[in-house]
Amino acid sequence: MARPLDPLGFEDEMCPVCKSRKYLNPDIVFVFNPECYHSMCLNCANRLFNDGPNQCPHAGCNKTLRRKGFRSAFFGDLAVEREVDIRRRVAAVFNQVEDDFETLQDYNNYLQMVEDLTFELVNGTDERRRQAEAQLQAWEAEHRADIERNKKAGREADEISRVRLAAERDAVRQRRIEAIKEAEAEKRERVRSREMELDNLAKGTTAMTAEPATKVQLKRRGQVNRVAETASNPAIATTGMGTGASEVERLSIRGLKEKPKAPAPQGPYDPFGGMDFAPSRYKLHGGLSHPLMEKYRLDRQHVAGGYSFDDFAARALYEAFAGLGVFVEDEKEVGSGIGLSQETSMAAGIAAVVDADKMDLD
Amino acid sequence: MASEDARYRETSQFQAWSFSPAQLAAMREKTNAIARQRIAERMLASASNPPTSNNTSHANTPDPSGHGTPNPTENSTPTLPDFLKPEEEALLVSFYVSELLRAADHLGVPDEVRATATVFFRRFFLTNSIMTYPPQEMILVALFVGSKAEGRFPRIIEFQQKFNTKQDILAGEFLLCQGNRFNFEVRHPFRALMGATMELRSYGDIDEQRIIAAEKRAHEILLFSPLMTDAYFHYTPSQIMFAALSLADRGLAERLIQETFHFVPPTTNNDNTPAVTPLPGLENQGIGRKEGGSKGITTNDERAAIVGPGIRDKVMGTIEACRNMLSTELPERKSHWTSESIFKSQIRPVRKKLTKCRDPDRWNLSELQRQRREAGVRRADSEERPAASNGSKDAAIFGGDLSADAPEKKRRKVDGNGLEDPFGGPL
Repeated sequence: MARPLDPLGFEDEMCPVCKSRKYLNPDIVFVFNPECYHSMCLNCANRLFNDGPNQCPHAGCNKTLRRKGFRSAFFGDLAVEREVDIRRRVAAVFNQVEDDFETLQDYNNYLQMVEDLTFELVNGTDERRRQAEAQLQAWEAEHRADIERNKKAGREADEISRVRLAAERDAVRQRRIEAIKEAEAEKRERVRSREMELDNLAKGTTAMTAEPATKVQLKRRGQVNRVAETASNPAIATTGMGTGASEVERLSIRGLKEKPKAPAPQGPYDPFGGMDFAPSRYKLHGGLSHPLMEKYRLDRQHVAGGYSFDDFAARALYEAFAGLGVFVEDEKEVGSGIGLSQETSMAAGIAAVVDADKMDLD
Repeated sequence: MASEDARYRETSQFQAWSFSPAQLAAMREKTNAIARQRIAERMLASASNPPTSNNTSHANTPDPSGHGTPNPTENSTPTLPDFLKPEEEALLVSFYVSELLRAADHLGVPDEVRATATVFFRRFFLTNSIMTYPPQEMILVALFVGSKAEGRFPRIIEFQQKFNTKQDILAGEFLLCQGNRFNFEVRHPFRALMGATMELRSYGDIDEQRIIAAEKRAHEILLFSPLMTDAYFHYTPSQIMFAALSLADRGLAERLIQETFHFVPPTTNNDNTPAVTPLPGLENQGIGRKEGGSKGITTNDERAAIVGPGIRDKVMGTIEACRNMLSTELPERKSHWTSESIFKSQIRPVRKKLTKCRDPDRWNLSELQRQRREAGVRRADSEERPAASNGSKDAAIFGGDLSADAPEKKRRKVDGNGLEDPFGGPL
């Protein structure tokens, strides 16, 4: 609403019809009609258009205006006001969202097209403006159903976020009230227990009795806290309900393109790529022992840290039998699987020595 | 496939450092041939350049462009020395491994460090010739890096005090890691031996003293024989362990094999032992093993493939071959490598030959490292210049100095070389 400060610029403040100025009549209100965006004071508008449609009093403008169409401007510059109106109208027609498009590129092209059209409507020559206007209307007529649907979806999203915000605000308020109540209760309790203590002192009882009083207070405080927790829970529950409702609502939105489904769960991640760690040649049993192990079993320095002798036995047995059935000569000569590629890479390593001239190491 | 074998196949020891004897011999031949060619070129290049001009590294390194220019009449003056043959190289590597073991004893490192250092050393001189890099220094480098790889972090001061060298060890560290293709985990048979004796003990009918004696002897063998031979290249740690155990006490090793590969396929059984009812002794235990152990193994075929007699015979054959290999270098041969007469008659002639044909550029590790650093700095400088001109333009626009754009420089460096080999350029 803030208009640019213009202490001398009276021409802006003058009604072009009755020539009254803001300076003389501080209560003057300017209105305009979005048909032609010519402003005049409210008195003139009432006077001229009360009897029904009439021609715009501006020289050279022959638009027929109605009283109903007049409104006061939001922006000081009426050109801006006009552009905003046009944009609002275009946005109401071209209300697709990114989810409606297959790719981001498509969506960007669409936005570009809309912006071009808007520019024509705002700044174009008469000819081009008419053309753009026709395009806009044609699109509106053609895609009425889509537009309606998107509008509805937008409204629903607005509604959902409004509900959620309201629920949150409600919860916050609830919590604040609870906190205030709690603080008051605590204060009261403190005063009460203090009085009780004073009474006790006056009666001449020992500290033995005073202690239970503070204990009682502490207990109460814990209770209060628990009460506060349960009190805040309903708020959480309501917000939870809000989101739950939003999910239900979201499902009812139609017309969105099929979203690619998330891949089916593949089970927990296996860092070892499905390798089997269960021993197949030996069996771990409790009877495994070694003189060294027995020696350290009694050593406090080893045992205190949680050294696992079973783990050591498992590792020793694994090493004893791992690779027993791996026949290097066969597997590397045949080049089965891994062997061959590794061997070639080693050969490459040797071959690289040939290029020692190009060698530059750090 | 047994799950333990599948796990072993995932190790770098199997994937990158296991070879058949033929492959190993071929690789040694190739390494030797390449080293001959490179060293000959470098010798000619350094001879064609007068020695007064080798004040910088640039004069010493062979220049690819100027390489073709010296005509044969000029560089006929230095006669190429007699290069080592692959067998001689292998002999020297074995000799230096024995030296490494002596150095390890001197340092008093644990068994794993000793073995890891040896394996590093052997692997390094598999793809690099002993004529290219100095083995005497690489021994200490291998011990140093091996200690680190086994989780012990010795101070370089200790090495300096014991061996009176420090710079070369530090200079050779990265080189050794590169030569090992950064595969730092070496699987050893020591813990496996403990596992095997645990299993033997659990049978309950074997004399404890026998087990202890066998373990002691096998451990002794493991500390020497597999390291002095190519066993780590040809066999898996468990096979090496079984071979050593078999050398120590053949009966125990065979018993363990028999108990492990206990499965009798139902087709071969007799009338009195039907397939469905397992034998009270071994078979019963075997069934229990299956149920307690792996998840999906149910069919007899699969079990036979893992613990059947067919694979048992094959495993025994492999262990026998490994045993033969180990028996060529029993711990008693330690004196062979340290004896003065052997050294004089066998090693010294080869070493003399080596002093004549070693690489002029790469023999001094510290010098080599210095040169490479300088080359790196020079290259970085030359890269900076075009970047600086770019940067000034950018600086004019953005009002800041953008030429110190380290990641950009690094990326370009990576693009320039090392594309074919992810572990860096050739050594």
